[in-house]
Amino acid sequence: MLQAHSFLWHYLWIGPNVLSLALAWSIRRRGVHKQYPVFFAYLIFASLEGFVLYGLDLFPAVSPTSWWYAFWAGTIAEGLFKFAVVAALLHHLLHSWPAIARLGRNLVSGAGVVLVLLAAAAAAFATPDNVPPVVGGVHVLSQTLYLTEAGVILAIFLLAAVFQIPWDRATFGIALGFGLVWSEHLAVWALVTGGVVRNRAWEDLANMATYHACVLIWFYYLLVPGRVVAKSAVPLPENNLDVWNRELERLVHQ
Amino acid sequence: MTIAIVLVIAAALALVFILGVTLSRSLQISAPASLASQIRPMDVQAFRNLVDPAEDEYLRRRLSAHEFRVVRRKRLRAMAAYVRIAGNNAAVLVRMGQAALPAADAPTAEAARRLIDNALLLRRNAAFALLRIYFALAWPNSGLAAAPVLHSYEQLDSSAMLLGRLRNPAAPVRISAS
Repeated sequence: MLQAHSFLWHYLWIGPNVLSLALAWSIRRRGVHKQYPVFFAYLIFASLEGFVLYGLDLFPAVSPTSWWYAFWAGTIAEGLFKFAVVAALLHHLLHSWPAIARLGRNLVSGAGVVLVLLAAAAAAFATPDNVPPVVGGVHVLSQTLYLTEAGVILAIFLLAAVFQIPWDRATFGIALGFGLVWSEHLAVWALVTGGVVRNRAWEDLANMATYHACVLIWFYYLLVPGRVVAKSAVPLPENNLDVWNRELERLVHQ
Repeated sequence: MTIAIVLVIAAALALVFILGVTLSRSLQISAPASLASQIRPMDVQAFRNLVDPAEDEYLRRRLSAHEFRVVRRKRLRAMAAYVRIAGNNAAVLVRMGQAALPAADAPTAEAARRLIDNALLLRRNAAFALLRIYFALAWPNSGLAAAPVLHSYEQLDSSAMLLGRLRNPAAPVRISAS
């Protein structure tokens, strides 16, 4: 069951990509893709990339080295897409609040720079292994990308938590999905790159299962309407507004 | 190997934090009531006195250097407590503003938007002010400018009152005490 090319393995490779395409189709039908065009494009790209890699894996004429080169190319292109999605998420989070927008962008950009340096240092100290350079290179590249991506998405969550910046439901859902899947991928690729685990099917299964959960989270946050809270007037206690207005006027003009 | 373990721990902590944020967000959505009761009224006049540079200058002239540092540290700790309360009040007001954002009438929605933006400005200024206060605690003779926090708090109070008036004209909201 937990082996490569088992039914579960096939399902976890294909299932999330089919669901991603279905999600892209659903959000296009609802017009949500206009609000999140980069994420919409990412969903389509990631699904197609998944199908192509799956096809190449099954096609006997494709050598393992060729497959890993294809994986290299896909990882780099997908990495660029993910950074574009993160930038769009940050824009969605901050654009309504000019008081905090500039500081927020600077903090997250600063965190990004630090993370790139950290990821480069971690890559430099990666444990060499006996696999072909293209495979080892992909391991290091994946660790580098996921360290930066997970760090940046964490920085966005921290920023929102510290300053209590309100999330809208869809932006939160997209960020949550990415936050979970990138953190898990970082842990797995760090174990692989560090030589702690090698060539075990559970690494692939863990990554694919987490991505599957991530797509389901996106379904929930993007397609299921949020709970409607009763909009009764906030119970505002005691005192008189006029008294406070006068008091504040006195303070301001003192 | 060591780097791998460090990264795995970091990833696990990130996961826990993100899941914690998700959980607290869903709890906030299910219990939006009694937000106003979480606001702790703040004595703006007392805070104004604490941040008044003239008072510091007066104390500096009247007290010995050692006594001044002791008194100044006490004042700074009090100031930090005020700033923390102001920051917490701002956080509550963000949530109140968020609850009012989907309001059907445009003036209420606009007041809510302005309240949130002012509250976020206060959170930002409070964070900077706390940094400066902690710096001044280490070097009590240095200058300190907490005035932006006070200005933001006054702006915030006006926004909160406007939103309160629009949503419930009969009952006011109070974030300052006399």
